[in-house]
Amino acid sequence: MIRYVLKTLWRHRTRTLLTLSGSAVAMFVYCFVGSVQEGLERLTSGVDANRSLIVFQENRFCPTTSRLPENYARRILEVSGVRQVMPVQVWTNNCRASLDIIVFNGADPAQIRKSRPIHLIQGTWNDFQERRDAAIVGGNVAKRRGLQVGQQFTIGEISVHIAGVFQSNVPSEENLIYTNLPFLQNTRGLDAAGLVTQHEVLLTEDADPDRVASEIDAMLRSGTVATKTRRKGAFQASTLSDLVDLIGFAHWLGFACVGLVLSLVATTTLMSVQDRLKEYAVLQTIGVRPLTTLRLVLMESTILCVTGGILGTISAMSTLSFGGFALGAEGATIAFRPTVNLALSSLLVSFAIGLLAGLAPAIQASTLKVVTALRDS
Amino acid sequence: MAIVELQRVTKGFRKGDEIITPLDDVSISIQAGEFVSLMGPSGTGKSTLLNLVSGIDRPDSGSILVAGTEITKLTRTQLADWRAANLGYIFQTHNLIPVLTAYENVELPTLLLKLSASERRRRVELALEAVGLIDRSNHYPRQLSGGQEQRVGIARAIVAHPKVVVADEPTGSLDFDTSHQVQNLLQRLNRELNITMLMVTHDVNVACIASRRLVLDRGRFLDSVTGADR
Repeated sequence: MIRYVLKTLWRHRTRTLLTLSGSAVAMFVYCFVGSVQEGLERLTSGVDANRSLIVFQENRFCPTTSRLPENYARRILEVSGVRQVMPVQVWTNNCRASLDIIVFNGADPAQIRKSRPIHLIQGTWNDFQERRDAAIVGGNVAKRRGLQVGQQFTIGEISVHIAGVFQSNVPSEENLIYTNLPFLQNTRGLDAAGLVTQHEVLLTEDADPDRVASEIDAMLRSGTVATKTRRKGAFQASTLSDLVDLIGFAHWLGFACVGLVLSLVATTTLMSVQDRLKEYAVLQTIGVRPLTTLRLVLMESTILCVTGGILGTISAMSTLSFGGFALGAEGATIAFRPTVNLALSSLLVSFAIGLLAGLAPAIQASTLKVVTALRDS
Repeated sequence: MAIVELQRVTKGFRKGDEIITPLDDVSISIQAGEFVSLMGPSGTGKSTLLNLVSGIDRPDSGSILVAGTEITKLTRTQLADWRAANLGYIFQTHNLIPVLTAYENVELPTLLLKLSASERRRRVELALEAVGLIDRSNHYPRQLSGGQEQRVGIARAIVAHPKVVVADEPTGSLDFDTSHQVQNLLQRLNRELNITMLMVTHDVNVACIASRRLVLDRGRFLDSVTGADR
């Protein structure tokens, strides 16, 4: 009977193609929205988000306004529960929300290598450590900007020599460019010798992050600059708070896509069934069971939805994979990554919509009065 | 042995405030292998009777025994299974599935039975051969003439080896020559395959091919003429 369903869809190929393209576009958007949400989720609730702290200047938001003494690192290291402190100078080309944000993190190369979840796929650590203006570039930035090892990359007042390209299992890392700390501190316009934007604190296994954060802030209150210390996840969520609201709103866009596919496929299937009530009556006269008729219609709507879903999902996954997209603000970035979970969720949603969209027409076709349908159609 | 037996069957419809009773306390018995034609003016219940025998409609009262099954007591699903195994239906307007080829249309009823692929193929080819359309197997209904479409419809009705075939004005939409071919075909199938046939027709000449002719008027049988009385 599957042949009957496929041939019916092929016979009305214009209608089928339009419906497929509609559901493909909607599922493409669904995947994109889902990818942004997954990115935010990873950023604010990953392992890294709760086991490390960010020490930032109190009442400052944009990285360029936070100026903490570099030597705070030694004092922070004395707090119990602190395993490692990495002073980081941050520079970004845009403090506002942007889809093409460039974020430089200047830190000690040895510490970067030891503490950051990154591995070089091009270039060498030696090149990065030995050359003052060397930088290693996240895979996403390299893709987006077409950067390669050996090139010189200039943005604003900063010009770096690309010594390597890295990948990371933490997607937001791939939107960063790491440089040597003194290089970034002495960049024209920053003039931050001896100063850093933030200290990144790694905790011991048994440390309570909130207690350590309070102790750091209390200890540094007597210093030259007061600090505000938060878990990394909370810090990033706060930094991206405007975007979080927008992403929360985009969540509804995902539901709208689901609704769009539902109404599109339901309308198409309903029209198709109503055009062919007599055919269903003939099938039942021949001996096709009402339940089989129901399944035929559900199969039709599900094929439309799932095929559209597969096309939309493949397009979205390819675009996300090759585009290297990221949304950022104030130095924090959300990476849009294609994931197996997202693809599976999109396909499952497509399947569920297919069943739901076909339900009303399927019930109509399976419960029709055969005699009436044969006479009236 | 009676293969179709209706006892005191009544069927009425509501049309606005009026209740129409096309069949009123009708009884009839058809023997296995008989070819019965059913005649009568429009609206006298011929098609209603055919639909009741096919189990696609239900009577208000009475009993309908077809091929040994009391079909008034079956659920919709049981009726569908029963039709697949026991009944062939020839429509006036052939009602082929337009997206399927002649072969696939004829194959449809066999897909509902537990048959091997080779047995299915054998039956479909035999049925198409019987109606003289084996060379048109891969043609779609739109590529066939009206007469050819009707013959495919007949092949579809006999392919599952049903015990009873009902035909609702099978020549109603055909020209004289084609109608004649179809009549011969129905007669041949009845004689050679011993299929019990119940055919509704308006046309006296078509009715004459049957071994028994029944005339229905205002819900009751008026006349019954056997082939010997012709």
